[in-house]
Amino acid sequence: MATSNMKLLCSVLNKMRIDHITTRSINSPPRFRPPYWYLPKERVMSDEMLTQENKDFLEEVKQDKLNLQNTLESPLIKSETQETLQWTPGTRRTGLIARKIGNYPLWSKDGKKFQTTLLQVVDNHVIKYIPPEEFKPMKTSKVVWKEKRKLGCLLVGSETIDPSTVTKEYCGLFNTVGMLPKRHLCRFMVSPQASLPTGTPLFATHFRVGDYVDVRAKTMDRGFQGVMKRWGFKGMPASHGVTKTHRRPGNIGAGGEKARVWPGTKMPGHMGNRWRTLRGVKILRINTKHNILWMLGVAIPGETGAMCYLFDTVLPLKKLKTPPPFPTHPPADDLPLEYYDDSIHLFEEPTITFEES
Amino acid sequence: MSLVIRKSTVEILCAAKWIFRRDCRLLSTLPEKTEIVVDEKERIPGRKTRSYNPILENRHVYPEFLPDPNPNWRNSLREKMERADMLKRRSQIDIPEFYVGSILAVTISDPHAQGKTNRFVGICIERKGCGLRAEFTLRNVVDHQGIEVRYELYDPTIQSIQVLRLEKRLDDKLLYLRDALPEYCTFPLDMDPEILPEGTPVPINPVQVKLKPRPWLERWERQELKGVSNIEEHLKEKDRVRRELRKTPWEKYDLMKNYRKTIPAEEQSEIWNEVYNQLQQMRVSRKKMSRKRTVTTPKTQLA
Amino acid sequence: MNQADVSKLVSKLRIKVPPKHRKLSSPQGPEGRLNKLRKTVTGLIKYERIELNYRRADEARQYAERLISEAISHGDCHKPTMEIADYWLLEKQLVHKLFKVLVPRYENCNTAFTKMYKAPQAYYGRHIDKAVLELRGNPYPTLTNKQSNNRLLLQNVLLDAAKYDYRQAKYAEMAEKLGKTEEVKSGQSNEDRNKPSN
Repeated sequence: MATSNMKLLCSVLNKMRIDHITTRSINSPPRFRPPYWYLPKERVMSDEMLTQENKDFLEEVKQDKLNLQNTLESPLIKSETQETLQWTPGTRRTGLIARKIGNYPLWSKDGKKFQTTLLQVVDNHVIKYIPPEEFKPMKTSKVVWKEKRKLGCLLVGSETIDPSTVTKEYCGLFNTVGMLPKRHLCRFMVSPQASLPTGTPLFATHFRVGDYVDVRAKTMDRGFQGVMKRWGFKGMPASHGVTKTHRRPGNIGAGGEKARVWPGTKMPGHMGNRWRTLRGVKILRINTKHNILWMLGVAIPGETGAMCYLFDTVLPLKKLKTPPPFPTHPPADDLPLEYYDDSIHLFEEPTITFEES
Repeated sequence: MSLVIRKSTVEILCAAKWIFRRDCRLLSTLPEKTEIVVDEKERIPGRKTRSYNPILENRHVYPEFLPDPNPNWRNSLREKMERADMLKRRSQIDIPEFYVGSILAVTISDPHAQGKTNRFVGICIERKGCGLRAEFTLRNVVDHQGIEVRYELYDPTIQSIQVLRLEKRLDDKLLYLRDALPEYCTFPLDMDPEILPEGTPVPINPVQVKLKPRPWLERWERQELKGVSNIEEHLKEKDRVRRELRKTPWEKYDLMKNYRKTIPAEEQSEIWNEVYNQLQQMRVSRKKMSRKRTVTTPKTQLA
Repeated sequence: MNQADVSKLVSKLRIKVPPKHRKLSSPQGPEGRLNKLRKTVTGLIKYERIELNYRRADEARQYAERLISEAISHGDCHKPTMEIADYWLLEKQLVHKLFKVLVPRYENCNTAFTKMYKAPQAYYGRHIDKAVLELRGNPYPTLTNKQSNNRLLLQNVLLDAAKYDYRQAKYAEMAEKLGKTEEVKSGQSNEDRNKPSN
């Protein structure tokens, strides 16, 4: 009896695990945890000392894979199910990854000049879809606004790169779809009915001319800046007895009970290099061959060559009113080369003249 | 006689020397011909210059087709789209060849003007911007009041650009006309166009303007202007000293600074190969049209 | 937006040109900077391989490239080019070297005229990046790794084997395809033959 008890005790002790101890208290914020599809991308490049033939061989394999990727057909053409999907004002479509390539003016039909920004949508492909049941993002302590809809997560990549420049794990993410790795990867939260099969190419025709979009991008990095540039303070006079305080902020607080610097006081510091969203930008013109969007205004954050993410706008007055291409525009060969907004004067049209009323 | 003899002796001596040299050469192991070849080979690299592509001369006529040289703002696709749009606009309106210093007449459609068009004549004092943003400034003195109008070259409200006098001036920018006596930039609004015969190079007008006494808008004395005659009259000793202090004679040797301001020839030839054929076609068709017009107009007058 | 300067025509450099110049600290300002670079460029043309600080080497390299490309495109009978060479080369016999030795050497060259390597830093002292700057085609022994083309390195041996397998698979696939098309063709031709006989 005693031996059996001893055996039982031993087995219980053997089975006991001490890795279930949680040390985190309820109040402390969760540590940063990258999303689970995130894999280390950068690798240390070194001279491999390959012979020329071997370098050529690697190039050939890469080229073959690229050709294979180009021959992939869009899954949207094969499946005829998208006919049944209907867009409603509540659904959320996927967005696009674009590159800012510069700005130039367009003129309206009444002779007004519009400055526009050109965004190029460079081979965007759907890499993965995670349905809402499986998608569990990191929980943060500060929940400002809770999404009532259940949204899935769609991964979109853009710009094919050389697979030898990134890690094997990162390549593996794309190999499952039969693609070469992409330089940029972005997560778009979409309604389940707006989900897309993996490998679907996305084009600039996903949006229409005249629609409004939100553009999210990183602003230009301006470094440590003073208060005049960073917050637009007025500074102080150049003369009239002012000494050494021409560009300084002046007073930063009151006395008495408030005798401290209040949180959020505008002070010198690092300016730029932050994610900012510009909402409600109108699309004036679309080129379907090169996938370029002409956006109204020059306030899209970032310098020329920066990446930005495009979404359907959330502004209530500028929201989509008519059904857009849903879930996205399928690839088609017979599209017109360019779409123009109604207000835009085409360069090949005759000179603007005004009629006497 | 003695003189003659002396001369002849000198000649004989020279001849003897020459013969002797030749003999020496003949005696030497190296043949004569190879030496000449060697001489040529040595000369070739010095004298030989790269074959010059005449298509590059377009850069003076259409400077706005070259992109901004700042590499932070460049993108080949954007530049291509921009050039395509410029050609589309040029198919609708004749934008003639003109330079800073030429006298132009520009007609634009203006919703607020009487007859809905507005015509202005003036001297082009500045050309700047590239691509669709290219612009030029016209200056004239109307009723003793200096007037400057800036036009955009590819603005679709411009109905016509007419060159009244095609010429260049001594400087790249004529902004000093603002401080010059008004007669240098006064042009009648009903000026007749002066037509240059075909194939003549664009003349350079060597006129030197006289500046008004100070105050000036800019420190013209520091800009090394060629088209101003009386700048020294208005200067004090202080200005001369400061001008000397501000001079930057090393800047013309700063090879990289010059390089960063220009578009290299290889990139330029790519651009011109892309647009030149279309530009040439437009020019030829315009010429045909204008010839037809010149033929038809006298007929109507006669009738 | 500025217009490109059209008064001069330059040939494109074969090296990467940074968008902005690098400041070299000098009490004389931009003139002093050029004087520093003149010394370096003269030294480079004279000795054909020099070791110096990375920042200065990178700047001097651009100027040396430009000088040689100007000399190639204009030749020694072009007065402005001669003035530039006179300014940049402090020892005047090097002007002859530029036009008579370097121009023929690089006339038909498709790559950059100079090479730059990162040099090892000194173990003690201030940590300043060092570089070796040299003219291409210099008489000194090379600085590059001689192992770079070795077939017996493990990665090369493995890649050779992989290449063999890949090619075999590819050829087999192509042969299969060809065989299929031939079968189809022969089948069609047989049918064609059969039809008239019927």
